[in-house]
Amino acid sequence: MIPEIGLILLIISSTLSLILSTVTIIGIKLDSEYLLSYTKPLTTLMCLTLVCSILSLAYCFLVDDFSVAYVANNSNTQLATLYKVAAVWGSHEGSMLFWVVAIAVWAAFIINRAPGTKQHFHHKLVAVAALLIFGFCLFLLFTSSPFTRLLPDIPIEGRDLNPILQDIGLIIHPPLLFLGYVGLTICFAGAVAALLSGGLSQQYARYLQPWAVLAWVFLTGGNAFGSWWAYNELGWGGWWFWDPVENASFIPWLVSTAMVHSILLTAKRGILGSSSIFLAILAFSLSLLGSFLVRSGVVQSVHAFASDPTRGVSILILLIVFSGSAMALFAQRTSIKAAPITFSLWSKESLILLGNMLLVIAAISVLLGTCYPLMFEVITGQTISVGAPYFNSIFIPLTALICLLMGLAPLQNWRHSTKMQQPLILMAACMLMALTTTWMTKESFSVWLLLGLFSSLWIISATGLALVQRAAIKNDENSTDNGSSSLRFYGMCFAHIGVAISVLGATLVSNFETEELLRMGPGQGKTLSGYSFIYDETQAVETGSYSAIQAQIRVMDSQNQFVTYLYPQRQTFKTNGMEMSAAGIHSGLLGDLYVSMGQKLTNNPGLNDNEYLIRISYKPLVNWIWLGALFMMISGVVIVFASKKSIARIHSPTTQREYCNELA
Amino acid sequence: MNWHSGKMAARTHFTQATQGVLSTVLILLSALFCITAFAQDSLVATHYTDTQKRDMGFEIARELRCPMAVNQNLFDSQSKIASELKGQIFLMLDEGQSKAAIIDFMVVRYGEKIRYMPALSSHTFMLWLIPIILVLLAIVGLFFFVQPTLKAQKLEQDTLHE
Repeated sequence: MIPEIGLILLIISSTLSLILSTVTIIGIKLDSEYLLSYTKPLTTLMCLTLVCSILSLAYCFLVDDFSVAYVANNSNTQLATLYKVAAVWGSHEGSMLFWVVAIAVWAAFIINRAPGTKQHFHHKLVAVAALLIFGFCLFLLFTSSPFTRLLPDIPIEGRDLNPILQDIGLIIHPPLLFLGYVGLTICFAGAVAALLSGGLSQQYARYLQPWAVLAWVFLTGGNAFGSWWAYNELGWGGWWFWDPVENASFIPWLVSTAMVHSILLTAKRGILGSSSIFLAILAFSLSLLGSFLVRSGVVQSVHAFASDPTRGVSILILLIVFSGSAMALFAQRTSIKAAPITFSLWSKESLILLGNMLLVIAAISVLLGTCYPLMFEVITGQTISVGAPYFNSIFIPLTALICLLMGLAPLQNWRHSTKMQQPLILMAACMLMALTTTWMTKESFSVWLLLGLFSSLWIISATGLALVQRAAIKNDENSTDNGSSSLRFYGMCFAHIGVAISVLGATLVSNFETEELLRMGPGQGKTLSGYSFIYDETQAVETGSYSAIQAQIRVMDSQNQFVTYLYPQRQTFKTNGMEMSAAGIHSGLLGDLYVSMGQKLTNNPGLNDNEYLIRISYKPLVNWIWLGALFMMISGVVIVFASKKSIARIHSPTTQREYCNELA
Repeated sequence: MNWHSGKMAARTHFTQATQGVLSTVLILLSALFCITAFAQDSLVATHYTDTQKRDMGFEIARELRCPMAVNQNLFDSQSKIASELKGQIFLMLDEGQSKAAIIDFMVVRYGEKIRYMPALSSHTFMLWLIPIILVLLAIVGLFFFVQPTLKAQKLEQDTLHE
């Protein structure tokens, strides 16, 4: 009964979304306040029905209703309650439902807090979002309904949730990523709404700004947490492998980073509105394209789950309809000679513009590398691989260029160029430091190391210089800038330093990781980077969902002091017999001690047959990668609050008058 | 003579892939820990030290794709074939072969797909060319996009002042 209610609620909400967009669009056309007064309750109603729909799916999981195919495929009576809830978004159908529900909730939040304006920007936004929801709902209902029943042969026991997913990561990583995609969906709706209102004006950009930043915060979190999860759980020690699934979420992040900068620029200076719109449309399209790549199974991936070619086509159709129409609208409404350029070549504006272009190029390059094997196979019939070494060879130089701009842009003035003396001296000093460090620490000269060191040093010192300059200006004259704008500035600096920290972590762990791959059994030991790893014994572990063997490895430091025990495991899952290895990691701010356990080396006559292939490594500063991401997320939240304040200021009557004067 | 037997061992090792991890690990061990005194007086030019061998071996294993596992490199993959190929890499390093020679050897056996860094050819040059062209276009485009309008504006301002 409950699943049918869920399904009916889903059907009702898809109808509601169609009604909502129709009523709102007609209301705007006729300028009828009466029709527009329906937008708010309709959005709220649609949001409620969708939330109830996903709740009924969660209920099916909680009561182990295996007559529902989605539940039977992804749950099990043995599964812990928390994972039963998380299993709602553990696979394709549920995660799509989660996506739709989150769009509706976000849209309802927006329309209920919207300031009443003449232009009905928020109404248009919600109308577009409702159309998107309608499209997604049709997709769900016709190709991947999570409420499909398995009748009359109801299985007694469900297939288990994919063992890899039974982890705290599943509870956090997918929702963060989907919320990021939802944020991009909202930005897309906002961009289309702006196109319908004659372009992204400064005021619309100010409305869009907090949502864009929030979307970026979620995406940053989703990517960083996904990388952290893979590092900890997959047992192959990588934190990033340029796998197609990783790329699918990284590409939208790159474009959304450009989008955030562009929208903030439009909100602050009222320029480059059409580039903001374009980036918003592009970011959403790429998130859909990413979903297509991941869910259709056209790419081979270590993280592949829930792939089915039939769904791929429907996602592709959604992509073509949504992005195609938005791009067509963009082409029609935007003229090339839209706005005069009011900044010089070395101003902050052009540097941000160039940075955005480079971010988009980086995204295109990653997309090219991801799709190249597919295209190559279609055209020539041969298979090739495009993997980590290629992506590093393209992405690292591009990142270095972007980092160069990241340090430079905050030091420049708006509109006009500044004296370049100080930054150039600073840049030379950073280069010198990076060069000497590279020469001193490595036998063979590594360009990658040089670029990474220079980028992080340069960003940190240049951002520091920008902060000093700002403080000097503030002390000089009783500054005119207000609290929220300086809060935004500090947020920006904090985010850039976060990038520097991530770059530094990634550079050091890639260049100075030390590792050994060797056979180990009880009583044997190995020294690595000043730490001794001693294999004490092999233990057997039983948990609810898997049985495992684990090695107890004692770690001593150079003074022979006990540091920690590490327990790498080889797990065998009870429900499906799948084997996995989980690494033993001792995390520290300066580096991680990492041990993973490979196959047992049996049929070894004459030798001790209780030995395993063990991989030990010391990964310096690896945690800084995610620490940097945390910095970025925190500063994003700060910027959201700062821009909320500034929006509140716009809508207070006095400043609104000033704002009008300013415009005139 | 030892050098030859090592090479032969590699061949037979390949034909008897089913023998599993045993032989692999022996080879791996010999590669990692044995002092290969005999390699010095062989005809092969290069002789790597143990650390060099380890670093190069890991580096090569990271650039090759495991034929079994779904999108993992040889270094990370824990499948049997991956351990065997890792053993093969170290064996060839013992023989003093270069990185390029080892990768070529693998490509001959397992096809282009084993290479994570695609070889530069008429089919693959686009992979590098497109990003480079786009970066140049962005820089040149910005220069031409911003500069002329500015000049025009300056001219306008100047005429206004007059």
